[in-house]
Amino acid sequence: MKPQQQGYQKNFSLIIAFFVLISVTLVVALIIVYNLTQRYVENEFASKKIDVLEQTLKPYNDLYLNKVYEITSYQGFLDSASAGKYSATVFKDYPFVKRTVFYDVRIGNELVEPGSKKYRLGISVKSIYEYTLNKQKRLTGTRMPDVEDINFRQMAAKFSYYIANADTSRAPNPDEIYKTFYDIKPDKVSYLNIPRRQEIKAYRNLQQTGQTSSFYKQNMMTFYLDPYALHVANPHPELYQQISIKPVVYDPLDNNDNKQQYVTELAFPGAFSDYKLYFMASTNYLQGEINRRFMPTGAIVFLIYFVLVFIGWLIYRNLSTNLKIFKLQYDFINNFTHEFKTPVSVIKIAGSNLRSEAELTERQRKHYGRILDEEADRLNDLMNKLLSFTQIENRSINIKRKEVNIEEFVKGFIETFRIKYPDFKTDYKIEGVDKFYTDPVLLGSIFQNLIENAYKYSHPQHKELFISVIHEKRDIVFTFIDKGIGIPKSEIKNIFKKFYRIENKYNQNGSVGLGLAFCKELVNFMNGDITVKSELNQGSEFTVTLPYEI
Amino acid sequence: MINHFKLFFLSLIIIAISSCKQQQVRQIPVRDFFKTPEKTFFKLSPDGKYISYLKPYKEKQNLFVKSLADGKEVMATSFTDYGIRDYSWTYNNQIVLSQDIIALDQFKVYAIDIATFKLREVLSLGTNVRLRVLNRGRFNPDIITCSLNKRDPANADVYRLNIRTGELKPYLINPGNITDWFPDADGKIRLVQASDGVNRTILFRKDENTTFKPIIVSNFKDMVQPIAFTGTKNNFYALSNINRDKAALVEINAENGHEEKVLFATPRGDVEDWGYSKKSKQIEYVAWNDDKPQIHFLSNDAQRLYNTLIRQLPGNDVKVADRDSAEQKFIISSSTDTNPGSFYLYESDTQKLTKLGDVNSDIKPDELCGMKPVSFKASDGLNIKGYLTLPQGDKNTNLPVVVLLLRNNLWSRTSWGYNAEAQFLANRGYAVFQINYRGCMGYGKAFHSAGFKQVGGKVQQDITDGVHWLINQKIANPKKIAMFGSGFGGFSALYGMSFHPELYNCGVIQYGLINFFTYIKDAPPFLKPYLKMTYEMVGNPETDADQLRAISPVFHADKIKAPLLIFQGAKDPRANISELNQYVRELKRRNVAVTYVLKENERTYFRSEHNRTQMYTDIEKYLDDNMHGKP
Repeated sequence: MKPQQQGYQKNFSLIIAFFVLISVTLVVALIIVYNLTQRYVENEFASKKIDVLEQTLKPYNDLYLNKVYEITSYQGFLDSASAGKYSATVFKDYPFVKRTVFYDVRIGNELVEPGSKKYRLGISVKSIYEYTLNKQKRLTGTRMPDVEDINFRQMAAKFSYYIANADTSRAPNPDEIYKTFYDIKPDKVSYLNIPRRQEIKAYRNLQQTGQTSSFYKQNMMTFYLDPYALHVANPHPELYQQISIKPVVYDPLDNNDNKQQYVTELAFPGAFSDYKLYFMASTNYLQGEINRRFMPTGAIVFLIYFVLVFIGWLIYRNLSTNLKIFKLQYDFINNFTHEFKTPVSVIKIAGSNLRSEAELTERQRKHYGRILDEEADRLNDLMNKLLSFTQIENRSINIKRKEVNIEEFVKGFIETFRIKYPDFKTDYKIEGVDKFYTDPVLLGSIFQNLIENAYKYSHPQHKELFISVIHEKRDIVFTFIDKGIGIPKSEIKNIFKKFYRIENKYNQNGSVGLGLAFCKELVNFMNGDITVKSELNQGSEFTVTLPYEI
Repeated sequence: MINHFKLFFLSLIIIAISSCKQQQVRQIPVRDFFKTPEKTFFKLSPDGKYISYLKPYKEKQNLFVKSLADGKEVMATSFTDYGIRDYSWTYNNQIVLSQDIIALDQFKVYAIDIATFKLREVLSLGTNVRLRVLNRGRFNPDIITCSLNKRDPANADVYRLNIRTGELKPYLINPGNITDWFPDADGKIRLVQASDGVNRTILFRKDENTTFKPIIVSNFKDMVQPIAFTGTKNNFYALSNINRDKAALVEINAENGHEEKVLFATPRGDVEDWGYSKKSKQIEYVAWNDDKPQIHFLSNDAQRLYNTLIRQLPGNDVKVADRDSAEQKFIISSSTDTNPGSFYLYESDTQKLTKLGDVNSDIKPDELCGMKPVSFKASDGLNIKGYLTLPQGDKNTNLPVVVLLLRNNLWSRTSWGYNAEAQFLANRGYAVFQINYRGCMGYGKAFHSAGFKQVGGKVQQDITDGVHWLINQKIANPKKIAMFGSGFGGFSALYGMSFHPELYNCGVIQYGLINFFTYIKDAPPFLKPYLKMTYEMVGNPETDADQLRAISPVFHADKIKAPLLIFQGAKDPRANISELNQYVRELKRRNVAVTYVLKENERTYFRSEHNRTQMYTDIEKYLDDNMHGKP
């Protein structure tokens, strides 16, 4: 037993080492994953603000790229009424536009200087209207004094410059359009409708010669914007606890001392460039998000850990089973050698006795003859047992079925054993069955083994056995009830194992621990089942269930 | 058993498929419909010795001349960049031809001497210039009279062009309101038409030394179309609908503008065409369009000539395309709704008819589909006419329908006759529905003026009513209706799809009008005199801004849901490409499935055969995809 003890200990330290290693790995992995998640969330907090900006500015960009183009679609035909209607749609769709100012622009000629006869391109305002929504959300338009304000003058200067330098053989390209017809100032966007090629040509002509027969109309509109009316979209509520629009100079001092907050900001482009988006999230808020994101990865790490542990346990179980088998085989060889040794030494003694005797008396000859015969039988029996067991185990024998008369079959065995062991009390009972088909040799082996066991493992005064055969539904059930020494509960699950022997005084010799294992193999081979019920020092009950075939 | 059933069903399916195949109409290749015609523009030389025609050479229209004496054919030009737009003979056997160089926005005039076939450049003109040959001088054949808007893009003047030297001499300077000139046989102009945009005035002068005096003033709703002087006194033939609903052929005294007599009038429609013999100075016949083209003869000689012709060309719509000055030889064109037409040479002395060529010989009339006149009541009770071309085959209910609106001019009508688009679509299994909504010309003054300021209103309602009528007649499959429009038809298609999205599956737009503000403002300079008239007929952008905004598709991109296919030539003089780009961008932003094809170096109509074939192949596939598979 000692070497195995050592084996167990070695295994155990290896296992502990393994568990320690993977546990350490687990902890390290969890820490790394947590840190990475934290860094990732912090990075996202800084980088996802672009999405917020994009979403928030979507209506502004829409106004800027599409809605204002409608003014061009009017081709200069906007007047105070239609400009009002247009403004109403703007106010409705773009709530951050608070006020629009419409300039009805006339392009004609004007005197270079008072009193001179030279003309040049004149860009002037015919009328200015201002539109707002009043408290009842109704559109109100008021005519403003026709004073050319700064918006108009800047636009007129740009436009005049464009006319002077434009390539009139083509329509203005997007770059020229942006630079000439849009004027973006903090909180306001001005737009002048884009004239067609022919008009640009006519204006150029006007600029160069001052000759014209009539005037041309252009429309300009200035949109006054309120950045605080922008709807702040928050597509990442998990990151940003609070997003607000602040002036670009906003920078609260307490930020620096108070480490309880994450803060980032992003300036608006274009007309809102005086303002920025101010993003805030408390440490706890972000911590919650970090934990939320860490959970699944942590769970996966744990899962991997448990899988590793499970695999480790499987390996350990395999190893210990192998160890047990090794031990059993070792026992077997021990027992078997012992088993063989007895008859062999008897034969050896008989042989040497025979040789040393000069003359054999009749009594001596018969005595030695009987001894040799018996021991040879015993050896043969041992060999047969071993051989057939191997055969059964490898399924290399065939079942030869024939009709068996149960009563005769059971009676035969009882007779045989009564002769063999005169102190063995046996009885039987057969119910509801007469004959059935089976292999009598295999069934005989089962009977032989179980009856033999019943005798062997009984106190000398209580060598009793009761055999009952019952037909139960589709099965035939053989029950062997003895009043023997019984089997301890802890051993019951082992008794059908190969080479397993219960350590007790009854099997010091003459047993190899193959009998019950052999029986089980046989029963399984015949598609049946064998079970045992036992109580220590009260007796055992072996039940063999075989399919009932006629 | 199951196997037997399988076999049985399989054979059933095979039988069904093969019987379908038998009934199936051959799909005529796209190219056959839309290829550049083989030989067109047949003309006779004034002396009757040559026949000239245009024929594609390397896919571009080039001039060919055939001598009738020896039958020799010569290719007179070999343009490979841009084809010939127009050409005409002079009385001394010269040919004047014009070419539109789209890439350079240039317009060139050439002349060819038939004796040497030498090509020489006469004139090269800049952008947006329009040249119209008004008269070829008989006595001084080198001089042609033409109108040209060279001086002022908005106003055409009359010039005398010497085709030998290229010398351009102003003959009549347009004071700014003259829209039409009517030269007499010598090229002298004594009759002109002026317009202030709303009112039209016919002016007359007795000879070249006196000034023009107005003789007839008419509202633009009325029409007086001078044809030629009758030769007696100063009377002239004209088509006029003053004081009547339908235009009639009348004789007008040029000295006082009084209508002397009515030569022909019919309650069935406006007289639209006439045949004039320069030799006899007589109107031979007048033609008008009822459901089908109609003709009436005013001269017995003409009737005799025609009867001989009609006997030889049964069932065809016959027209005299050209004649020599002796009026012995004629070029005759004939066509039907299922025949793109052929040209013939007719020699009246021998009564011999010689076929000169087919417009499109790949088209077999028996594979095409008849164009059936239909009429329906609009929702306000007005009778609206149209044409229905059903695909070949027995099936004439629950068909997929394409509403075809090809309208270069808002008020022009669809007439009975061969139409490549309609036949192409019918060949592909679609019923083609063409509607002459109110406002269309040819049905009289009342019907025409019923459409004024109703663009997008009742005009559009007529189209919607027509589609509903077609559904109620069980002809249309209400789930498979497409709009196909070009020009104003493109506007109608977009409008229909914007405001009746439930009615249409998809739309095909060729050079569609998307913004009436732009349309009015972007009118090429030579259309300026018509602008005020347009204000009256469509709307004034200053006073009717709301209405124009309400009907212009560009302001309603959000209402379109169904897929669109848009074709546009980048050099289309009337299109505002940047606006169209913006419109398409807006549609795409609203997730409308829009396919936009912008072809460089194409004007309104795609002149390159390759581009044209590609376009109709696209259209075929697109309709297949969007009308839930093949019909």
